[in-house]
Parts: sequence; C-alpha cells; structure tokens
Amino acid sequence: MLYSRPQLRLLLALGATLLAGLAVGEWRQGFPDAAERLERFDRDETPLLQSPPPPPAPSAPKPRPAPPPVATAAPAPAEAKPVDLNRASADELARLPGVGPALARRIVEERERRGGFDSPEALRGILGLGPKKLAAIRPLLSPGN
Amino acid sequence: MSLEAAPLLPPAAAFAAGIALAVWLGAGALPLLVLAALCLLAAGAALRFGCDQVAASAVLAGAVSLGALSAASPAVPADHVARRALPPSVILEGRMVEEPVSWSPDRTRLLLDVEAVQDGAERQPASGRVQLTVYGEAPTLAEGQRLSARARLHSPVGFRNPGGFDYPAHLRRDGILLVGSARGDGLSALTPEVPPWPATVRRWAVATLRARLPESSAALEAGLLLGERTALPRETDEAFRRAGVYHVLAVSGFNVALLASSVFFSLSLLGMPRRATAIVAGLVLAAFAVVVGAQPSVLRATVMGLLLLVSVLIERESQVMNALALAGLILLAWRPGDLWEPGFQLSYTATAGIVYLSPPLSAWLKERGWPAWLAVASAVSVGAQAGVTPIMLAHFNQLSLVGIAANLLVVPLAGAATTLGMLALSVELASAAAAALLFNALWVLLLALRASVWLAAAVPAAMIHLPAPGWLAVGAWYGALGLLPCGRRPWARRVALALCLVVTASSAWPWLRPGDRSLRVSFLDVGQGDAVLVELPEGPRLLVDGGPGGTRRFDVGERVLAPFLWNRGAARLDVVALTHQDGDHAGGLAAVLRHFAVGEFWETGRSGPGSADLERALGSARPARRVLGVGQRVWLGGAVITVLNPAPDGGPASANDDSLVLRLDWRGVSLLLTGDLGPGGEARLLQRGGRLRILALKVAHHGSRFSSSAAFLDAARPDLAIISVGARNPFRHPSAETLARLESAGARVYRTDRDGAVILETDGATLRVTRWAQRITDRFDLDAERPRAVEPDSLTPEPAPL
Repeated sequence: MLYSRPQLRLLLALGATLLAGLAVGEWRQGFPDAAERLERFDRDETPLLQSPPPPPAPSAPKPRPAPPPVATAAPAPAEAKPVDLNRASADELARLPGVGPALARRIVEERERRGGFDSPEALRGILGLGPKKLAAIRPLLSPGN
Repeated sequence: MSLEAAPLLPPAAAFAAGIALAVWLGAGALPLLVLAALCLLAAGAALRFGCDQVAASAVLAGAVSLGALSAASPAVPADHVARRALPPSVILEGRMVEEPVSWSPDRTRLLLDVEAVQDGAERQPASGRVQLTVYGEAPTLAEGQRLSARARLHSPVGFRNPGGFDYPAHLRRDGILLVGSARGDGLSALTPEVPPWPATVRRWAVATLRARLPESSAALEAGLLLGERTALPRETDEAFRRAGVYHVLAVSGFNVALLASSVFFSLSLLGMPRRATAIVAGLVLAAFAVVVGAQPSVLRATVMGLLLLVSVLIERESQVMNALALAGLILLAWRPGDLWEPGFQLSYTATAGIVYLSPPLSAWLKERGWPAWLAVASAVSVGAQAGVTPIMLAHFNQLSLVGIAANLLVVPLAGAATTLGMLALSVELASAAAAALLFNALWVLLLALRASVWLAAAVPAAMIHLPAPGWLAVGAWYGALGLLPCGRRPWARRVALALCLVVTASSAWPWLRPGDRSLRVSFLDVGQGDAVLVELPEGPRLLVDGGPGGTRRFDVGERVLAPFLWNRGAARLDVVALTHQDGDHAGGLAAVLRHFAVGEFWETGRSGPGSADLERALGSARPARRVLGVGQRVWLGGAVITVLNPAPDGGPASANDDSLVLRLDWRGVSLLLTGDLGPGGEARLLQRGGRLRILALKVAHHGSRFSSSAAFLDAARPDLAIISVGARNPFRHPSAETLARLESAGARVYRTDRDGAVILETDGATLRVTRWAQRITDRFDLDAERPRAVEPDSLTPEPAPL
C-alpha cells in the first residue's frame, strides 16, 4: 500500500473540501444575489428611523436592502444631498439653514460625547436648537442615522 | 480519580485560596512573608521527624500565604499619574501597550503606558497605565508606538448599584488606575507606526478574511480564529450568547487544542518522526498564543498543550488534571488578579468539568447502550456546562437551557471552521487561487454554523436569567459535582442528594422569601439620566425611566438595569413609566422591554417614545399602553399614585415641561417623581393647586438650575431630595444654585453621582436611606414632626481609598 488508511482519509477530506470550494465558487459567481441573501439571512434589516413594519413571520426571508442606484441615474444636485448627522463635519452641519458655526460645533461636541445620535430627535436639548429649527432641518438629514 | 494522579492540584488550590483570602483579610506583605517562611520551616522540621502528613499540611499553608502575598497590591510609585495633582486637561506622552480597539467607527480605545506628562510648559517624567477613549477620527496607531495626547483624566467610575459589576476593580487588576478621554485631533504620533510581528500577523489575517469572505462570515471567522469580535454583527453576537455557545467566539482553549492536535496529527500522517512533530507543534502553539494575545484561557490551554507535548517528547504519560493545576499555578503567580476575572474562572471550571466529570459520565452512558461517539461528545458538553453554570450565573445571570444540545452541533462545526480557516490562511501565502477554493468551502461551513446557532437561539426560553447564586449554593453545587464520580456508593449518593437540596433551596430563596411589606424605592446609578425602581409593599414593581442607552452607546438598560432586576429575582415589571422621550430617560427601556414581562407602559402621549429601538421593543413586547394626564389616580400594590402632569390642554410646552409627574402616597410616606420638569411646568403645577407637601423629591432635570424653583420647593417642602445625575456631565448638573435652594428648603440631599444608588426603604414608621457607594444607611424616624436622622449605621466599612 502506498498510503495508510488515516492518510487516505486526510487526502479524501482535502479533496472533498477543494471540490466543494470549486462548486460553491461557481455558484456564488452565477447567483451573486442569492449568495448575498444567504449571507445576510440572520441580519435584522429593519431600518432604525422608520416606523417598524408589522413583525414578519419568522420563516419569511428578510427584505434585502435596495441596491445602490446605478451610475446611469442623473446625479442629484449637491444641495439636495442629505446630511448624515453622525458623519457630517461641523462645516457641513453649519450649511444647514439656521445652523451657524457655533451651533454646528456644539452639535459635533454633543455627538462625540454621546457617541452618536440615534435619531434627529436626539438633537433636542442642544443649546440653540429649538423644535422649530429642528423641524426645519429634519427633512435635510439623511434617514440613515 | 485520586490525588496521586494530580499532585499539583492541592498547592494550586491553596494558592488560589490565598489570593481569595488576601482580599478579605488585607494583611500586609511582611507578616505574610514571615508566615510563609514559618510554614516552610515547620514543614522541614516535620519532615525531619518523620511526620509526613504534618509536613504536607504545612507546605499547603505556605502556599496559601504565598498566594496572599502575591495578591497584596504593590505600592503606587510616587511618579504615577494617579498620584499627581494634575489639571483637568493635560498632555500625556506614552507608549501603546496593545493594538487600538475600535468597537464603533468614531470611538477608539487605547491603552497607554505613560512616560511623561506636560502640564503647561513643564514636561515631567511620569509612570502609570492609562486607558484612553478617543472620540472622532484618530490617526492609525500600532502597538509599541509612542504618542502624545491631550487628554482629560479621571478615576474610573462604574455604576454603583447592588450586585453591579465593579468596573474600577476590573481596571485595577490590569494596573489601570486612571482613565481618560481625548479627541482624535488631539493625538499625535511621536514614532512611526511599526507594529510588532504578532500584531502584523493578526492584521494580515483579519484583512485577508475580510477580503476573501462576505462581511458577516468574515467577522465570525475572525472571532473563531483570533477572538477579534469588533466587527461581529449585533444579531450574531446575541444569537451566540442565547444559544450558550459564546465560548467558541472568545479564543478559548478549544482553538489552541484544535491547532495543536491538527498540526500534530497531520505532521504525523505525513510521516514525520514523533519527537520532531511534537517540537513543531509546540512552536506553532507558542506562536499562536503570542498572536492572539494573553487571555487567561489561551494561556491555560497553551501551558497545558505544551506540557502534553513535552510528555510526548520525554515519553512519559501525563495527567491532564495535573497539567491544568500547573497552568493555574503559573498563571496565578504571574497575574493573581485574574482569579476574579470571568474569563479565568470560566476557562478553568469548564476544563476541570470536562477532565473530572466526562470520563465517568461517558462510561455510564456507554453502559446504557449509547454509541461511543455520542456518549463522549455528550459527556464533554455536560461536563463543561456543569462546571461553568455557577460562574455564568454569578457574573451574567445567564443559564443556557439549550447550551448542552447546541454545543453538540456547534463545537464540531466551529472546530472544522477553525481548522479550515487556519489551513486557508496558510495556503493563501503560497497560492491565492488554491486558497480561494478553501475559503469558499469555509463559507459554507460558516453558514451552517450560523444557521445552527440561529436555530438554537430561536428556541423559546433558550436562555433564562436568574439571580446570582450565593456562596452556599456555589459551594454545594461543586461539592455535589465532586461526589458524582463516586455515585455508586450509598453514602456519596446521600450527601450529593443533600447538597442538591441545598442548591435548590438557596436558589429558590429569592422567590420564596416572604415580602417584608415595606416600600422600597431605588434611585439607581445610571450615570447622567434617570431610572427609579419602586417596589410596592404588596409586591408590584414600577420602573420610572430607564437611563441612557440605545444601540450606539453603552446601554444602561442592558448592562445596569437588567442585571439589577435579575439579581432581585424580578422577572416581571408591573409598570414601566416613561416621563418623557429624552435619551437619558428612554434609552435603556428598550432592553428592559426585551428582557422582562411588562404589564403596562405609562406615557404622556405628548410625543412618541423617542427612539425607533424602543418603539420596536414596545411593538414586540405589547404591554398595555396607558396615556396618563393630570388628575388621574392609580391604586397599585397598596399605594396611591396620582398624576400631576401633564395637563391635557396645557397649551404648547417643551418636552421637559410635558414630563410625566407622579406622586406616590403610602401610609403617610409621599414621594414625587418629576422627570425633567422645567420652570414652566413647575409654575403650571403650582397654578393647578393641590397639596404638594412631600417627604421625598426626585429633583427635576438632574438638578438643573432652571428647575426646582424656590416657589416650587416652598410648596413641596421635601425632607429628602434625590438628584439622579452623572459625574462630570457636560451640563454641570447639579447646579450650585439648585443645591443652595434645596438646602434652604430644609431638604437633605442625596446624589447618585457621589452616593451611587440611593435606596429608600420604609415600613411607614421609620425610613432607611442607603447610599450604596459608601454602603452607609441613614435612619429616619417618620413619627417625629420633621424626620430626624438617627445615627447612620454602616453596612460594611467604607472601601479603602486608593
């Protein structure tokens, strides 16, 4: 015998693994969407800032996030680009209506202290940002945060 | 198993006992040294006169005193940053002790060995280890790099509540006496970023996994291989916890054993001589331990693995229990404080459970006709679970009911994924194309692993939460386990049965205990925010506000409120009330609603619950939602709760002025909970009239100077005022003006930032107020005209200051 039984078992396992890898690789290339869905099967995809949908049946597949817009879409005007409350710099925040450099700095400081805002509502209580101003800037904030 | 097989077990246990005793006895170093010397002398003398038993006892006593000696905390050097009088903001120069850790994109944690401090123009050499939290974008840093940082330093403060986690003590065991915060732009590197080779290997491995595997699977594989969990999705993390298989994610002895055995056996199969195989496996093992870092579990497994390999080298049979004891002894001598760390305790109890219980258990199962492989796997799973159960309960209140079954499936899958991952990473060095095949196969394995964990976690009541067991229950549990292998003898059966009864009785005590028919109000230490638990005389529980929390920050609901409630044996809250939607009141409630059965949710209806997280938790917990307004009364558990705010047609008001204000009356004891009520709300409350005079006031809005006006305090005339406020909050709460107003109103002030949890207990005649941080209880006589303090009685001596 060239190989002992344990050696043969190891070789068999290696061969099977490589073959499985080859097949899976082909499948992933052929059906990237299905692979992506499978990869995210246990993720809770309900967006944080919208009213929650009725609880889905546990076995139903989770909704997939919409694919990013394709490049053929007309570029949005720079003005309409929503501001991400948790990423924007003080300069970007200061461009919001009614928000000056001082208020923008306070917002950034508050964000650093709290480690981020769960929702635009969390901005309440920052000195100089009343309900009216908040209502005015809310539509300009990106819903992502 | 007899002690002859594990001669190192008694000294290791004695050494550990010495460390444990040192904390309670607090003896100095010199007496312990003398004691240890005397013990050894006595042992020598006993040996000389042929009393071997006495000599053995004396040696063990010596081990106890050596353990106590090693645990005596070293003196803090004079140039330590903690002993310097420093201004609030200083420039530190120091060296990075470990790689930076980042759990969220805008926050990084650094561990710095300070070399100098710069206070103004003056630069002075200094020492000490500091943990810095860096906010905002930080420069990329590496272990060993020197940097300077403008930082604000302070002593670490945990949340000081009954049964809470002692964060400062945890840091102190790592030699960290100060923590601080810094901004990313206040950091500058003094030397170039050159990570040492273990960090380079680690970075390369994580980067390769991220490049080769889809996101969630890469994060999981990084956890399996390296214990790197920062990128793990929250759902996956939660599912592994619920399924009781989290140990596979914390690099455990399991990985080390897998690595050693797979290297050893594959090299043997390739026909390498036995000794050379053992040497190579030992080298790989040591390298792996250096790369993943020095957690107690890794060190334990590495020491044990190396011992086993050495026994192969010298061709002697080795006893696993003896290797375990030696690993424990080495580790404790090096880092005595680890004895108190959950990681150390879990690693050793799990291994001891497997080594001690599995062989007799699997033999017993095989006798009953189980197939050999199933008997062994089940016995290992049961042994580990039996060992860690009290530890999991004591630290995390968790008891996994599916753990034993889930481990049967998850451990082999995780083992295969770990081995395949290591193989794929090593092949990646040679050929990326061949590695791609292996990574694809690995992906399928990881999906299967995640699916089985997800299924196990979805089982109803997969994990239940119980109060932390007392010493009696823990001791009886391990005693009963110790007797299991001699279960065939009648006396052992009887004793084990009695011990089981002790465990059951003492665990069930929190529920069986008759109520003391008194009213207990706990103003919990939740940092800057409010959370008040009212336990009514007839049993119902009312939680008003839940402190700060949410998905992006430290969740007080998950980490502070839930453990506190579990330890009180509370599985149900009759009412959860939200005064208003601000994050420091509503944030922690989502976790509370997830973990506890809630009867009713009280709100003002003036605004939503504030966060989508809470809205979602309300949607799935489905408590009865009650909108409350002024004039409503609720009889609950023998007490009357009156709603004083908000008025239904009060006109536009700020969110704070719309706070839910509750007055609670029971047997002449009255309490006013005010949320964040502001000046406008107070004025309207006074306008509406009604009796406001109360015994105890939860001071509105954390002691802000705009609240608690003189007119309001004049009407309320509280005898006690409790301010729920966080230390060093940026709003400078509580304000000096409010404190002065409270004092002139004749109120005795308690503050959660200084006193920790403030707990009021009363039977209607006397009132006891406990300041948990100091463990001091003040007693008041309620029958007197104005409650008078009787002298305070200490529960325990105050903890010694640093």
